[in-house]
Amino acid sequence: MAGVTRQAAAIEGGTGLAPGRPRRLPAGPFALVVPGLLLLVVFFALPVLALLLRSVLEPEPGLANYAALIGSGTYLKIFFNTFLVSAVVTLVSLAIGFPVAWTLAILPPRIAQPIFGVLILSMWTNLLTRTYAWMVLLQRTGVINKSLIGLGLIDAPLPMVNNLTGVTIGMTYIMLPFVVLPLYGVIRRIDPAILQAAALCGASRFQALRLVLIPLVAPGMAAGALMVFVMSLGYFVTPALLGGTANMMLAELIAQFVQSLVNWGMGGAAALVLLVVTLALYALQLRLFGTAGLGGR
Amino acid sequence: MLLQFDRLGWWRWVLVGITGLTVVYLLMPILFIAALSFGSSQWLIFPPPAWTTRWYGELFADPRWLESAWVSFVIACVVAVLAVAIGLAVAYGLVRGTFRGREALKAFFLTPMILPVVILAVALYALFLRIGLNGTTTGFVIAHLVVALPFAVLTITSALEGFDKAIEDAAILCGASPLEAVVRVTLPGIAHGLFSAAVFSFLASWDEVVLAIFMASPTLQTLPVKIWATLRQDLTPVIAAASTLLIGLTILLMLLVAVIRRGSRS
Repeated sequence: MAGVTRQAAAIEGGTGLAPGRPRRLPAGPFALVVPGLLLLVVFFALPVLALLLRSVLEPEPGLANYAALIGSGTYLKIFFNTFLVSAVVTLVSLAIGFPVAWTLAILPPRIAQPIFGVLILSMWTNLLTRTYAWMVLLQRTGVINKSLIGLGLIDAPLPMVNNLTGVTIGMTYIMLPFVVLPLYGVIRRIDPAILQAAALCGASRFQALRLVLIPLVAPGMAAGALMVFVMSLGYFVTPALLGGTANMMLAELIAQFVQSLVNWGMGGAAALVLLVVTLALYALQLRLFGTAGLGGR
Repeated sequence: MLLQFDRLGWWRWVLVGITGLTVVYLLMPILFIAALSFGSSQWLIFPPPAWTTRWYGELFADPRWLESAWVSFVIACVVAVLAVAIGLAVAYGLVRGTFRGREALKAFFLTPMILPVVILAVALYALFLRIGLNGTTTGFVIAHLVVALPFAVLTITSALEGFDKAIEDAAILCGASPLEAVVRVTLPGIAHGLFSAAVFSFLASWDEVVLAIFMASPTLQTLPVKIWATLRQDLTPVIAAASTLLIGLTILLMLLVAVIRRGSRS
């Protein structure tokens, strides 16, 4: 009975003239956000702020930790190396990613589909598994060195782990899907008629590429590049395993300050540098491309 | 013309070549690890001199591997359930709510995704040292929940945005209470989104290394920490066996998500 009455009232209310819009959940939408918000404030925002505060409070209040970071050649080399590795990984990812995304966009779906499968499989495969695979493949007695020697291309094994080559190969492998997938989306949205128009106006293939296709894809390339660069800056596992001590990156330095040296002040200072660079680049990305490029890990 | 395969002339072979090499680049590590896990050589030589399942035997005979896999599994399941529950509440509030600061809140919920995870790891490590959560299951669950929640919120938000609110309103007009309408109409409508959110959250926890390296204790470590610790000592084929099992699990989960997505579309 009560149900019928409520139904009747609701239908009356819903006919448009009366003010009775369907009721919201009793507690209101904001209350629903609270548990998640509390979790992130207590276990994310506050601990990160506390860490950054320690950089100016420990061992004594002041900017001594930052002075030490900037004043030391060792740390400057690590900053430089972090940017160098990220830049190289970004460039290589783009150089491979653009042709692959282009090919995927023009291949018939029957052929493109399995390639997407491979891309997504590699993206979902455990990070340590992928890094371990490269450690095995790239070692002195690994398959790649043996094949190159077997083919007579080199005489002695190439050093490919514990250096920039190793990190670049391992990290590009991880970043490639983050370039290919967004670029594919951009290329698919281009109207082929524009390129036909270019051809009708007498453009050669190379001119059409340089003057029409690349300018249309450029925003997508820039967004992808910025994202890969930022993600690379903070990477820890792959550089630690494939890079060796001479190629330390910022994330590893932070971990080392805290875990081995128990120097929270320096750890916090290095974390703040990484955080500021990351957020500044994301702000740039939002400013230039909107939220479209966000969403990677 | 540049977007039509058969009108690219010889260029298309350059593109096909690069793409083919990239597929090799992407597949090679996965295939080699799987092959080497069945090879008899301790030194991971390819092609292996003989085939064996010895490394799988060693893997399953070592209680520490099994224990860390079990710990990882339990933590990932708890994280998936909590992330979907909290993520659903957050997503519903963000999509249906009209309160002020909604956009800023939405951005805040995604920040753990863009912040370098090492910063979060160090910050949580400091906090957990103080409140005694390092090396505990609770600590792992909390840490992994922080990184899994953005994925859950993002996935469920987009599922909710794709679900027509008019259907929910219609249920209320037909006499359902708002809660009934959500539980019996909206939730089934976004079930595929909830499922994807659960899988992503599970994987976010299951595969998580950096936080886990800081949270782990000698007596409690997840599978990635066990792999990490073993890797730093030597490249034993036992890791190849563990990796192959992980890759198998990944393929299974991918197929599951694909099947569910196909099912939800038809």
